[in-house]
Amino acid sequence: MAYAASEPGTTAVAPALAIKILVAGGFGVGKTTMVGTISEIRPLHTEELLSDRGIGVDDTSGVETKITTTVALDFGRITIREGLWLYLFGTPGQDRFWFMWDELALGALGAVVLADTRRLQDCFPAVDYFEQRGIPFVVGVNCFEGARRHDPVKVRRALGLNPSIPIVLCDVRERSSVKEVLTTLVTYAVEGF
Amino acid sequence: MTDEDPGPLIRLFGLTRGRARPQGEMFDLVAIVTTVLGGRPPHDLLPEHHTVLALCRRPTPVADVAAHLALPVNVTRVILGDLRREGLVTIERPRPVAQTIDVRIYKEVLDGLRSL
Repeated sequence: MAYAASEPGTTAVAPALAIKILVAGGFGVGKTTMVGTISEIRPLHTEELLSDRGIGVDDTSGVETKITTTVALDFGRITIREGLWLYLFGTPGQDRFWFMWDELALGALGAVVLADTRRLQDCFPAVDYFEQRGIPFVVGVNCFEGARRHDPVKVRRALGLNPSIPIVLCDVRERSSVKEVLTTLVTYAVEGF
Repeated sequence: MTDEDPGPLIRLFGLTRGRARPQGEMFDLVAIVTTVLGGRPPHDLLPEHHTVLALCRRPTPVADVAAHLALPVNVTRVILGDLRREGLVTIERPRPVAQTIDVRIYKEVLDGLRSL
């Protein structure tokens, strides 16, 4: 049964597919909230070896100081159907975890860059990152309670965004709002294929 | 996001025999892992290996395997790499995203999102 069952059964069934979407932006902008609003949160962490070169290390020794650190990732799953999922990954905020972005971004459909108009500059690094790598992204302007609604034209100018990149005003606590951000991203990314 | 204790490091070290990276071709966080039917697991498999083999009878992305095992991603990768080397699981090779999403998938995703 073993070998007989492994081949023929697979032809009719669509292969399982997991689509990766990144959620980026500055610290405290609402990445975790957004992932939690729309998806089933899964606990995920990673052990990363941080190589600490140059400081207090004797170059001739050939030994580096290595520190293992645990990084918790915002990770959520949206099940479209059996065998088709969207995965949301929040990008680590601290600068020292930049090296993880490349791995997270590999093969991603696209990214949501969350922006807080009170601290717009916090999302510059994320915008730069995705622009440089040609990864499609949309900007979600998180309209915090009490913050005045911002004109997307001004946000576009402040971020120096290409006119084609969608800007969506959103409230990451509202499911309907997050749905709009994600459908905008998926459509924008697929149009670019 | 989570304050969960990833477990004693010595245990992780034992699971991977000190390796930080899996053997063979690297694979993505959302690569699909599928248990090979009829594979013959060796007798010295660890409980984590058996858990993966049971879970991935249904094709499961790497990140979900890690979440299910409650192990760090890189440790999970080493475990998956070992199982792949033994021929017990297959791990999807990376494909450009534009090749994986056709019009039908795109519509399914949009409809799925809207109906959430």
